Amino acid sequence: MTDFLYPFIEADERDAQSLLADLARSAESKAMDSRTLREATLERDAVAIARAAGAMAERLSAGAQLFVFGNGGSATDAAAVASMFRQPPFGRPLPARSLAADTAVITALGNDVGFELVFSRQLIAFAQPIDIAFGLSTSGSSENLLVAFAEARRRGLLTVGTAGFDGGRMAASPDIDHCLVVRSDSVHRIQEAQAALAVALWESVQRELESGRVVAP
Amino acid sequence: MHSGGEDPFGSLGADLSATALALARRFAGGATLWCWAPDAPEHAQHVAVEFVHPVIVGKRSLPAVAVHGDPLAATAQLRPLCRSGDVLIAVGSWSRHREVSPVLLRARSWGVTTIWVGAGERPPVGAADFVLAAEGDGALASYDGRLVLVYHLLWELTHVCFEHPGLLRPDVEGEGPACVTCSDEGRLAEVVSCDTGEVLGRTAAGVETIDTTLVDAVDAGDVVLVHAGMAVTIVDHRR
Repeated sequence: MTDFLYPFIEADERDAQSLLADLARSAESKAMDSRTLREATLERDAVAIARAAGAMAERLSAGAQLFVFGNGGSATDAAAVASMFRQPPFGRPLPARSLAADTAVITALGNDVGFELVFSRQLIAFAQPIDIAFGLSTSGSSENLLVAFAEARRRGLLTVGTAGFDGGRMAASPDIDHCLVVRSDSVHRIQEAQAALAVALWESVQRELESGRVVAP
Repeated sequence: MHSGGEDPFGSLGADLSATALALARRFAGGATLWCWAPDAPEHAQHVAVEFVHPVIVGKRSLPAVAVHGDPLAATAQLRPLCRSGDVLIAVGSWSRHREVSPVLLRARSWGVTTIWVGAGERPPVGAADFVLAAEGDGALASYDGRLVLVYHLLWELTHVCFEHPGLLRPDVEGEGPACVTCSDEGRLAEVVSCDTGEVLGRTAAGVETIDTTLVDAVDAGDVVLVHAGMAVTIVDHRR
């Protein structure tokens, strides 16, 4: 009888349990996808990671700064990368910072000269030829990253990028020395694997610096 | 390589599903999600941007805002910003930031649902309404995608819940851990003033007069447990 008066109570109670079970299964399956993609990316790109890290370590040992940049979630990932290099959980602190961190600079440049120039203009202001530009994009085709990589190339910086999907325009860009691509079509899974790539780069840079093998260019 | 067979992510799936449903219900009720990550502010910004500007076209934009600073600064920002029914998500390492606890406690006293997301050591039972622990306990989980994965999944699951509007009605609450602030036994209140001889406390229901004759002297910022208008114990002293 109460079903007649309050039909949603029983129905919703059952539905919530079934939804919760579905959500839990979905979360576990996606967590496994994420782990598989991270492991596969690190394995497939092991040589490219070592090569990029070797070049980064050479410059860092010679006094280079690392500039990291990206948009949206990739801007926060850029901040994480900069933070890991600058204030590492262990190992040698290195000069690194995010070009997406200062809202005054970003909004001034975006408003006055265009959003496609927000990173390149900062490289013009801050970068020396010895420095390193590291851009993260899930699409691989963010205009302001491509413009920044071109500027970095003109100035003699080492250029490192991480992209997703099929690598987008970054994969084909002659301005990027080391482009690491996470082969996935999920923006979230790409970001997670790019974070793993950045940690692998950082670990490899730390090992290179510790080994004393690094020769400044 | 991980070993096969066992459940590699512990209770994460079940924890995420309960948290996502609670979060979707709060959003449906008009909540703002406040995001705070004391040891890595970029995580707070990352959570906020996921909800505000979804990566999947067509998903609705939801109000999520990053706040920054140490626990005192964060509390000072959140106190005027938070409304009863809002949600606070704290992202970070519990072992490095035990002082997160008083912030979560105060938020709960204001009627805010609290979520902790981190790797490594878990907070003690009751420190947050919902606890989401990333795989791995190394210092690297915060950087290598495992922590990001947890809030990416929270976002994804919350949007799945929006496809079930019947479950987001306020009258079908009940899943997830019981909230201390709403139980019959007592309600948390943060003392907002005691200047005029009368003690005023902020609870999930608003600001009310509290009789403090049963407890030691209280100061603004203290958290007390209130039963029938009486403070029965001081839960946390002002920091």
